[in-house]
Amino acid sequence: MLTAFKSLARSCGLAALAASMVVLASPSAHAEEDVWPILKEQTFGDRTIIEEDGLVVLETPSKVEDAALVPLTVRIPPSVRGKIKSLTLFIDNNPDPKVATLNFGPAAGTGGERSFSTRVRVDNFSHVRAILETEDGSLHMTKKFLAAAGGCAAMQAKDPDADTADMGKMIVRKFTPALQSSPVWAAQVMVKHPNHNGMQLNINTAEFIPAQYVKEMTVTRDGELVFKLDGTFSISTNPNFRFTFGRGEENNLDVVITDTDGTEFKGQSQPKGS
Amino acid sequence: MCTPNLISRKTFLTAGLALAATPFLRYIPAQAAAMDVTEVAPGVFVHQGRYEVQSPGNRGDISNASFVVGSEAVAVIDTSGSAVMGQELRDAIRAVTNKPIRYVINTHMHPDHVLGNVAFKQDKPTFVGHYKLARSLGTRANSYITANKQMLGDAAFEGTEIVLPTLAIKEATTLDLGDRTLLLEPQATAHTDNDLIVTDTKTNTLFIGDLLFSVHVPTIDGSIKGWLALLDEMGKRKAARVVPGHGPKTMELPQALEPEQRYLSAIAGDVRRQIMEGKTLAEATRTAGFSEKDAWKLFDQYHVRNVTAAFAELEWE
Repeated sequence: MLTAFKSLARSCGLAALAASMVVLASPSAHAEEDVWPILKEQTFGDRTIIEEDGLVVLETPSKVEDAALVPLTVRIPPSVRGKIKSLTLFIDNNPDPKVATLNFGPAAGTGGERSFSTRVRVDNFSHVRAILETEDGSLHMTKKFLAAAGGCAAMQAKDPDADTADMGKMIVRKFTPALQSSPVWAAQVMVKHPNHNGMQLNINTAEFIPAQYVKEMTVTRDGELVFKLDGTFSISTNPNFRFTFGRGEENNLDVVITDTDGTEFKGQSQPKGS
Repeated sequence: MCTPNLISRKTFLTAGLALAATPFLRYIPAQAAAMDVTEVAPGVFVHQGRYEVQSPGNRGDISNASFVVGSEAVAVIDTSGSAVMGQELRDAIRAVTNKPIRYVINTHMHPDHVLGNVAFKQDKPTFVGHYKLARSLGTRANSYITANKQMLGDAAFEGTEIVLPTLAIKEATTLDLGDRTLLLEPQATAHTDNDLIVTDTKTNTLFIGDLLFSVHVPTIDGSIKGWLALLDEMGKRKAARVVPGHGPKTMELPQALEPEQRYLSAIAGDVRRQIMEGKTLAEATRTAGFSEKDAWKLFDQYHVRNVTAAFAELEWE
């Protein structure tokens, strides 16, 4: 009888403990603030990150209209001189918070305003962060808050049959600047790819559409590396990137994209002008 | 000669309308009056939805819903935006006829046209749609349910669920209602990838769903190019009347299409020019198509999303 009571008391104690743990682990207003230290630790270890020092600027829409297609632009103002090493984008509350990491090469350019834009899925109200690593290895972060929800589970292909028929189609555009002597030029890469995140349920089959997304993209100018991008499914369907590169001789861009299935897609800019 | 039964039903309906129209008695009980429908042609009834987004106040009553009565059976064309509105549409049908409801047809996948389907399950009808409707609605089901539950609130959402089609229309098909047939024509991607045009051949009435918006700003969820091309084709059709998905109960071809053609052409023209100029999606959303701002209701709610969709499509040209 006594044993039974003790056992009951013990299990009640455990239950109470378990309950308090559940409370601690439950999402709260502060949950979002809790994610970043873990992401930071995983990605940058104990390195110092300088916040909002103006070396990196993030542009997000004031109002999100389509959470599956949210345009993001990162600008590095002309006041930042010298080379840049890397750029990492996070959406704290996405299922995979890291959007992409870009490691820049010699053709990424110096001087002028450098920029990188893409379109992302936003699954929940979240901070978006851009962390720039400059030539001296220091880290600089800016963040914005986005009130958008449902971009990851929402099915966003409006015409999936047309997209499937065109899968792998790639367009590489250069925007020749008004002043051809500009140190940095702009370009765009777009690829027809579903970038399935594995979170879209087909209720007809009660199955999730398997994940398949752009994992790697390498951009070179006249054979020299502009950047290598490691991406995740936070990037929207039909991935779309605009970026700057350092002016060279021919200014021919070659792009190689590899998805999670190991399929490779290649594209090139037109030899002359746009 | 009126039967006593008919008198009492008419009296009940009139009383119900009077109650609904009295501002001090706006609360509508669960056993509400039947939906307000108008007979626009013999045996063809249309309910006009409000120009609003879903809310607890409108209970999802934001799109047009119709039914056609044959000598043997009834077909419903779109079921409004909640189980409760579907039930009120069913009550409206039962106030007109006791013939079996044989078909429930959806003109496309959007929740404000399909969420009332569930109210007709008791009739065991054939649920009919474009052959891509099941896939498109099926993959969006969870997000539609979540979003509409939030917008409608628990009371107006009560009982709502997704009911998928059981008959897939891949080519022009006729359905027989007894002494009248409906012609069903699946379309290539336009407003959505699953638009279906329904024609009551007896009265030459076309139910074109959200291929036609009037007053309520159009919403692009398929292909702006496909939609403009289809509108050109539809302008050549001869019909006694068309029933839009959002707008008055009936309109006339081809002039009914003109404001929508102008709106979509304005977006396509501005967006194409901005793409040529190397502008970004974010830049386009601030200017493209804003000449149309004063011509439509709900412009602020849907226009930027339309430009986003148009840009993501047209940049591949």
